[in-house]
Amino acid sequence: MNKLNRKAMFLFFIMISTVFISGCWSQKELNELAIISAMAIDKNEDGKYVKTIQFVNPGNVAGGLQGGGGGQGPAVTVYTATGDTILEAHINASAKVSRRLYHAHANLLVISEEVAREEGIDGIIDAFERDPEVRTESKIVIARDAKAGDIVKSLTSIDKVPSEKVNKTLLVTERARGENIVVSIQDFISVSASLGREPVISGFRIKGEPEKGKKMENVQQSELDATLEASGLAVFKEEKLIDWYEGDLAKGTMWILDKIQQTDVKVSWKGKKNAVVYNVIRQKTNVSADTKNTYPEMTIHVRAEGDIRELTTPVDITDPAVISDLEKEIEKEIKKQLEKAVTRTQKNNSDIFGFGEVVHRTDPEKWKKMKRDWDDEYFPYVNVNVKVDAFIRRTGLRTNSFHSNTEK
Amino acid sequence: MEKAKISAYQLFVLIVLFELGSAMLIPLAIEAKQDAWLAILIGMAAGFCLFLVYYSLYAYYPDTPPTDYAQKIMGTVLGRMIAFLYVLYFVYLSARVVRDFGEMLVIVFYPETPLFIMNALMVLVAVYTVRKGIEVLARTGELLFVLVSLLAISGLFLIVVAGIIEISNLQPVLEEGMKPVIKTAFTQTLYFPFGEIVVFMMILPYLNQPKKAKRTGLLALGISGVTLALIMALNTSVLGVATVERSLFPLLSTIQAIEVAGFLERLDVSFMVASVIGGFFKITLFFYVSVAGTASLFKIKEPTQLAYPLGVVILLLSMMIASNFTEHLQEGVDIVPLYVHFPFQVMIPVILLIIAFFKKGKQNDQAINK
Amino acid sequence: MVPFFKRKKQSNKGKRQERDSSGSSKNSAEEKDFIGSSLAANVDKIRQKTGYSSDLVIRLINIGPQSEIKIAVLYVKGMVDSQSINDFLIEQIMKNKALQEKIMPNEALDIITEEAVALGGVKSVQDWEELFTVLMAGNTILLIDGINKALSASTQGGARRSVQESTTNVSVRGSKEAFTESIETNTAMVRRIINNPNLWTESMKIGKMTKTEVSIMYINGIAKNEIVEEVRKRLKRINIDGILESGYIEQLIEDQTLTTFPTVHHTERPDCVAGNLLEGRIAILVNGTPFVLLVPALFIDFFQSVEDYYERFDISTALRFLRTVTFLISLIAPAVYIAATTFHQEMIPTQLAIIIAAQRESVPFPAFVEALIMEVTFEILREAGIRMPKAIGSTVSIVGALVIGQAAVQAGIVSPAMVIIVSMTAIASFATPSYAVAISARLVRFVFMISAATFGFYGIILAFIMLTVHLCSLRSFGVPYMSPLAPFIPGEAGDTILRKPIWAYSKRPHLISGENKVSEGKHQKPGPPGPRNMTNHYTEKGE
Repeated sequence: MNKLNRKAMFLFFIMISTVFISGCWSQKELNELAIISAMAIDKNEDGKYVKTIQFVNPGNVAGGLQGGGGGQGPAVTVYTATGDTILEAHINASAKVSRRLYHAHANLLVISEEVAREEGIDGIIDAFERDPEVRTESKIVIARDAKAGDIVKSLTSIDKVPSEKVNKTLLVTERARGENIVVSIQDFISVSASLGREPVISGFRIKGEPEKGKKMENVQQSELDATLEASGLAVFKEEKLIDWYEGDLAKGTMWILDKIQQTDVKVSWKGKKNAVVYNVIRQKTNVSADTKNTYPEMTIHVRAEGDIRELTTPVDITDPAVISDLEKEIEKEIKKQLEKAVTRTQKNNSDIFGFGEVVHRTDPEKWKKMKRDWDDEYFPYVNVNVKVDAFIRRTGLRTNSFHSNTEK
Repeated sequence: MEKAKISAYQLFVLIVLFELGSAMLIPLAIEAKQDAWLAILIGMAAGFCLFLVYYSLYAYYPDTPPTDYAQKIMGTVLGRMIAFLYVLYFVYLSARVVRDFGEMLVIVFYPETPLFIMNALMVLVAVYTVRKGIEVLARTGELLFVLVSLLAISGLFLIVVAGIIEISNLQPVLEEGMKPVIKTAFTQTLYFPFGEIVVFMMILPYLNQPKKAKRTGLLALGISGVTLALIMALNTSVLGVATVERSLFPLLSTIQAIEVAGFLERLDVSFMVASVIGGFFKITLFFYVSVAGTASLFKIKEPTQLAYPLGVVILLLSMMIASNFTEHLQEGVDIVPLYVHFPFQVMIPVILLIIAFFKKGKQNDQAINK
Repeated sequence: MVPFFKRKKQSNKGKRQERDSSGSSKNSAEEKDFIGSSLAANVDKIRQKTGYSSDLVIRLINIGPQSEIKIAVLYVKGMVDSQSINDFLIEQIMKNKALQEKIMPNEALDIITEEAVALGGVKSVQDWEELFTVLMAGNTILLIDGINKALSASTQGGARRSVQESTTNVSVRGSKEAFTESIETNTAMVRRIINNPNLWTESMKIGKMTKTEVSIMYINGIAKNEIVEEVRKRLKRINIDGILESGYIEQLIEDQTLTTFPTVHHTERPDCVAGNLLEGRIAILVNGTPFVLLVPALFIDFFQSVEDYYERFDISTALRFLRTVTFLISLIAPAVYIAATTFHQEMIPTQLAIIIAAQRESVPFPAFVEALIMEVTFEILREAGIRMPKAIGSTVSIVGALVIGQAAVQAGIVSPAMVIIVSMTAIASFATPSYAVAISARLVRFVFMISAATFGFYGIILAFIMLTVHLCSLRSFGVPYMSPLAPFIPGEAGDTILRKPIWAYSKRPHLISGENKVSEGKHQKPGPPGPRNMTNHYTEKGE
C-alpha cells in the first residue's frame, strides 16, 4: 500500500512539475492578440512588398459593452510595413503593433492588380499556405484600379469590419448575379497546381474617393464617399493577371464553371430589346470532351430552370407555345454569353474553364502528350459546342402583364 | 504474461484504433496519386495474408506469447535473439509514433512548444496506462472508440453536407495502369499500417475466445482498411491530388475546408482529438508489447516495473531518431519499410511458421499415431 | 477488546466453551461474564457499570402469592416505548391474578415469559455483555431474584423521525417515502415493496463502542453469491470505534481508495433500493442513517434516477442523454473555454472571438486565473449556502449573485463570458442526479482547467484519456466500474445512456446478478387488441 502510494505520488509530482516547468509557450490571451481581419499586398517604387494589415478593434465592433462604447472609433485599424519578402514585411509590421499579430481570423487577402500583372501571385501565396496559423479558406480578391492597401483601409457600414463586408458581398453577388466568383487561397492553389486549368479571381474596386473612405465620417452618412464593390473577374495565365472579364463575359465564364446559382437573362421579343427578363433559379452545366481528333472537341451542356420575373412589353405568357418560344430565345441568349466567353478566353490562351482537366479525365493517354503545351498549343484550337436547355417553370404571382389590358 | 483476458470485441476495437492511429494523418499511399485509396485496399488485402500467418502461429501456440514460442521453435539461443530483436523493434516503432505525433502537434498547434515536452506528456500518459495493464487499455479503447467513431461519422457527414467533394478529382482512375498502385501497395501500405498488426501476435494470447481471433482480426483489418481508403479518397476529392501530395497532414486540410451553416467551421480541434486518441493507442500498444516482451524474455516478476525505464527509453529514442522532421519522414518512407518492417513483419514470421509447421506437424502426426 | 468483541456474536453454548478456553484474557477476567442470581447484586452491578446514569430506570416489583418474588424491570428512558412497558409488561405481571398464584420462585422467569409478557420480541439473556447491549439498544430487561438469567423484551420506541418525503432524492413521480434513521423501519419499507421470502437480511453489530446495527439485504438467487460473500467479508473486517453514518462503511469497504469517484452507491429511497435488489445488487442498511448503501455500484448508476423507469422510455432516454451532456459540461466547460481563448483562438468563430476579445480588453488576469477566481468563488458560495441557516441562506445567494457576479463584471475584473461559463458549469453540475459524482466532477474540473491552461486542447485530451483509463481501471466489488459500456455488454448497454422500453428488459445485468438471470417473461410488448387499420366497416357485425 505504502509502495503504491509512493509511486502514485511520484507520478503526480512528475505531472505537476511538467505543468509548472513547461510554462506556457504557445499560450496567448485573446486580449494580447492583434486580430488581423484582412491583408493587402502592394509593391512600392523600390520593388519592395508593402503589406497592409487590417486589425479588428474588438471594443468598437462588439456593441453594447460597458467601456467599449461600441462604434465610437473605427472598427478597424490599419498598419503598413515593407519588406523584400512577405514574411519580412510581416515581421516589420510588429514594430508598429503593440500586440502579437494573429492570422487565424484573417479572411481576406487583397492583391493589387499591379503585383498580379507584373510578377504573378505564386510567390506571395507560399508564405500564406505554409504558415499553420493562416487559414487557407481566406478569400483572395484583386484590387482593381486601386492600391490593394486602399481596399483594406476603407471603412464600411452595415458590416463594420471591411473584410467581412468584402467577403459577404462576394458571396451574395456570386449567388445572385453570377459575375463574380469566391476564391479561397486553397482553391487558387489547387487550380494553379493543375496543368489543365488556370485560375480566375474576382476583382474589387473602390467607388468614390479612397482618401475619404479612411475617415469615420465615411460611415456616418447614408451614401458613403467610398464604397467597395465587386467588379469583374481577373483572368490569370501562369499566375499572372492578363485580362478582366465583365458583364456577359464574366457570366459566360461562370456558366461554364458551373458556378451560376441565380442570374438574370434578358431576351428580346418581337424586335423589342430586353422585353423579357428570365431569372435562373437553378442550373447544371456539364463539360465533356471528345478526343478522337488531334484537337479535342468540347461539349458544354447547360440545363437551366427559372422563372419569368419582368415583362416590359405585353407578352401572352399564358400561352404554352409562347413560353416555349421564349425558352428558345433564352437558350439563344445564354448560348451567346457562353460562346462570347469561350472566344475571348481562347484568344487569351488561358484555359480558365478547366477543359484540360476534362480531357485528362476522358483520355489520360492523350493528355500526357498535350499537357505540357495545353494552354498555347491546344486550348485555343479546341472546338467548343454549346448546348443549352432552358426551362421556364413559373411566372411569378401574375400571369400576363397589365400592359396587355391597356393594349386591348 | 499478465493474467488478463480481453474479449473479441475489445480486440477488434484495439486493432481498428491501432491501424487508424497514425495512418489517417499522413498522405498514405500518395505515390499512387488519385488511386491511393485503391493502393490502400490492395495493401489491406495483402495485410490479410500477413495476419493469417500471425494467426497460424497463434493457432499453434495459443497460450504463449511469440517471445516464448520463438524459443520453442528456434531453440533457446536463437529464439531469445529473435525475441530480443522484436522487443527492440517494438520500442523503436513506439518511439517513431511518439515522434510523429509530437511533430504533428508542434507543426500544427504548438509552434513555440519544444517537441520534448509534447513527447514527454504523451509518454507519461502511456506509462500510466501500461501500468494498468492490457484489460484497462482494452476497456479504455471501447469507450474512446465510440468517441472517435462519432467524430468520424459527424466529420464525414459535415464534409458531405458542406458540398466540398469533387468526385472528378479522383478521376481518371488507374491513369498509369495498375503498376504504380501495386508498387505502392507492396512497398508502403502493406507494411504501414497493415503489417504493423504484427504487434497483435503479443496480444492474441490474451483473447478469451481463441476461436474468434481469425474473424475479428480480419474484420478489424478490413474495416480499418476501408476507413483509411475512404479518408484518402475524401482528401483527394476535396483537396485535389496536387495539394494532398504536398501536405504533411491532408486530413487536417480537409477538415479545415469544412464550412457548414456559417458556424460549423474551424473544426481543427476535432482532428486533434481523433488523432491524439488514435496515436495514444498506437503508442501504448507498442509500448505495452515491449514491456510484456521484455518481461517474458528476462523473466521479470513485476512487468509494470519496466514501464518507467522503458518509457524513458522510448522518450529519448523518439528525440534521437531524427534531427529534423524531413529526416524523420525520409526514414519512414525509404528506410523503415524495406529494412525494418519487411524482415520483422514478413520474413521472420514466415520462417517461424514454416519451422513450426514441420515441428508441430510431426508432433500432431505422432499424437494421432499414438 | 478484540476477542471480547468477537465473542458477542456467538451462541450461548459456544460462549461457555469460549470462556473456558480464553479465560486468561484480561478483559473477561475483569468482568463477570455471567449474570449472578442475586437481584440486589445484579442491580448494583448494572448501576455501577452505567455510572449511575440518570436515564436508566430501575423499577422493583414484588409478586407472587406472598410477594416474595422480587423482580427488577430496567430500561433506558426515552429509548423505549413506555406505553408498551406499562401495558404489556408491568401491568401483566402485577395485575395477573392467575399468574400471581401460580408463580414459583424457581420457574418464575419461564412462567413470566410464557404467560405474562404480551410482547413479541422476548428472549433470555445470560451474560452481562449481551445484557448491556440489548439494554442500551432500547430493550427492557427483567431480572428476577434468584435466577441467573435475564429476560429481554423488545420495547424499542421513543421519539424517532417519522417517515417523510425524501429531501436528497426528490422525484416528480413515484413513491414519496424516504428512509428514516431507524433500521427496523427501513427494512420494513423495503419488505413492503418486495413481498418475497427470498429477500434475505443478515444483521451484525459494527463499531466497538457504538455497536451499530448493520444489515445486508439481498434477494437470494438473484444476488451473486460471490459478491454477497465479499460484502460479508469486508464488513466483518471493519474494526473501528464507531459507525455514525453509512459513509463510514462506504469508505471502509471500497475497492479503490485513491479515486474521487464513488464505487458505492447510496440512496434515501426504498423504491430505488428495491429496484437495485431486483437487479442483483446488495443493500447495506445502517442504523441511525436514512442513507442505504448499494453495491456493486457502476459509473452509470450515478447518472440514473429511479424515476427514469417510471417515465416512458423515450423521455427517459432523452433525459439520460441530457445528463451525460451536463456531466461533460460540468467537467470540461471551463477547461474548453480556457483552451479556446488562450491556445486555440482559431477555433472560435470570428464574430465570437471579437466579442470575447472585446470583453477581455479590460480584464487584468489571464483567462485561467479569471476562471479560477470565479470557480473558487462559486465553490465558496455553494459551500456557504449549504451550511447557512435557511434564513441567512438567501442573503448568501443575493450577495453572491448580485454583488460578486454583477459587480465583478462591471468592475472589469472578470468578463461576462466567463461568468456565463461558470454559471453554466454550476447549473450543469446540479443536474447530475448523484451528489457523489457531481462533487467528484467538481474536483476533476480543476485538473482539467490546469491541463487546459498549460497545454490547451492537447492537455484536455490527455487528461481526458487519463480519466478514462482511471475510470476503466476501477472496480466495484470486482465488477468493472465502466461496465456495461466497457467491457461492452450488448444486451445491457440499452440501460445506460439509453433506457430501453420496460418490455424489452429480459435479463438482469450479468456481471452483477447470480444464477437467476431472467427478469421478465417473453412477449411483454403491449399493443392494441386487434388490427384497426383499413377495415371495411360494412362487413363488421352490427353495422
